[in-house]
Amino acid sequence: MIPYIIRRVFGILVMLLLLSLFTFTLSRVVPGGPWMQGNVEIPLPQEQVQLFKEKYGLDKPILFQYLVWLKNAALLDFGRPFSAPEITVTQMIAQVLPYSAIVGGLAALLAIFLGVILGILAAAYCNSWLDNLITSYAVIIGTIPSFVMGFVLVYFFAIKLSWFASGGWGDYRHLVLPIVAFGLPATGGVARWTRQCIAEAMSADYVRTAYAKGVRQAGVISRHVLRNSMIPMITSFLPLFPAMMTGSIFIEATFGLPGLGTYFVTSSMTRDYPLVLGITMFWAILISVTYLITDILYGIIDPRVRLENKK
Amino acid sequence: MTAGTVTPQSLAGNDLPSPVKYAGFWAGAWRRFRRNKLALYGFVYVVVILFVAISADWIAPYPYDKINPEDALQGPNRQHLMGVDMLGRDMLSRVIYGSRPMLLVGVVTQLAGLVIGVPLGIVAGYFGGIADWLVSRLIDLFSALPWYLIVLYMVMVLSPSLENLIVALTITSWVGSCRIVRGMSLSIREQDYIEAAQALGLPTRRILSNHILPQVAPLLLWSFAAGIPTAVFAEAGLSFIGMGVRPPSPSWGQMLGAAGQYWQYFPHMFIFPSLMITLSVLAFQGLADGLREAMDVNINV
Repeated sequence: MIPYIIRRVFGILVMLLLLSLFTFTLSRVVPGGPWMQGNVEIPLPQEQVQLFKEKYGLDKPILFQYLVWLKNAALLDFGRPFSAPEITVTQMIAQVLPYSAIVGGLAALLAIFLGVILGILAAAYCNSWLDNLITSYAVIIGTIPSFVMGFVLVYFFAIKLSWFASGGWGDYRHLVLPIVAFGLPATGGVARWTRQCIAEAMSADYVRTAYAKGVRQAGVISRHVLRNSMIPMITSFLPLFPAMMTGSIFIEATFGLPGLGTYFVTSSMTRDYPLVLGITMFWAILISVTYLITDILYGIIDPRVRLENKK
Repeated sequence: MTAGTVTPQSLAGNDLPSPVKYAGFWAGAWRRFRRNKLALYGFVYVVVILFVAISADWIAPYPYDKINPEDALQGPNRQHLMGVDMLGRDMLSRVIYGSRPMLLVGVVTQLAGLVIGVPLGIVAGYFGGIADWLVSRLIDLFSALPWYLIVLYMVMVLSPSLENLIVALTITSWVGSCRIVRGMSLSIREQDYIEAAQALGLPTRRILSNHILPQVAPLLLWSFAAGIPTAVFAEAGLSFIGMGVRPPSPSWGQMLGAAGQYWQYFPHMFIFPSLMITLSVLAFQGLADGLREAMDVNINV
């Protein structure tokens, strides 16, 4: 186990190195910089731009800049955002992360909870009208972009019924719609995957034996089927959490939430190099660590899996 | 002749024609494909939308950028079947023209993704060694972040436009097909007929193109169709937040974004573009699912 983890962590570090190099060079080689507003130059005196460049070392060769950044990043110092020099990038991320984490995390929970229930129902009544209904629901709901779902929900529940707020941040009334709009389309995929996992476990010999012994359907499902289909389910649902935390960009735009996605968009638009790199690194670490944990968990829940042999 | 005996004649097919005629892989696939209703819907939809996109100049009732402030924000009526937007532009015409960036982004990025991903995947899987290591690291790099973040970042750095969106999506979309092809070539490499081909001294180029490529072809067709919904989502999402197609050229996502503060009072501004996005994604998804079933491809990635 330990050598496996060490090898994986090493792989993640190599990936992070490549990713930072890619992001860094991409942002520097294209024309423009923090003194530009999109593609329009802000009318700044040339001396000001020069001073700015000198202050942040942007006049040095790209490789030199990258090495400086890398040296600081290795000591977990990601610099300060151009847009908010009074705090560090790490503090900035810590400040806005809760918005994305709460919305994304709760949306992922909703998707998993609802999706698993639907998937179990569909598998238990395989090929019945209920199964057809759930499968159709799963296919159709998955084709609706979350921001379209957001529009629909806001229209009915915020404007027509005014049960919830249509945007912004505050109490639970602000949370319900973004979470549902974001989580609901994801239930489709979860339900389909659950149904497939359970259907596969149902076709096993020990399930037939259990039925032959006279165990009731509910008993077979809860005691034999669910336990075995849990493994592929857990390992594919765990990565949903970081995926939804990072994927909340569009939902943040729809509901005007000041989350990490919004900051990623504005900081790449204003060429806030330290912040862009910081957020990118943070997300990459979050995602790859989740995958690592998932794979380790896989080996723990299912003793048949030998991680050492897994490529 | 009694059943079970095998003679050279029966093998050569000089005997009576066998009762079951094997029509071939693609004919069987088409028969299975037709049985899937959603796939059939997808097929019909794609044909229709292709026609709409190509003949937009003739079937659109108005030019997509014709501004007519007097009519602004009208609901659907006889003159404007889908209503009018805040600048007085005909929504139906804009929806019709909006099929162009959708198809363009979907088809071009997936095709370009295949052109990059397939050779890389075959080379990595077949040759292994340093080539495989390099390609695998590249795949790792692009799987480290969700594709939409990479696309978003690249589009913003390169400045938002349809062309840059296509470039960014191409750069991320080769990863899926490359990973599939690499995995398949890895296992095909170990097959006996490859060893036979090598023993016969066939040039590597021919082994790759005549023995490995046909094996991965059905999967590629599936991955092509399955990748399009992602691209459609990307185009819609990025145009929605103002990072894709530049106005005044219409795109469904951009129309949604432009609906902005109006749609609450004029729901027609958001109903039609979002309906088109959903119908298109559903069609390509159905097409992809149908293809997978019809060709019986196993995807375990």
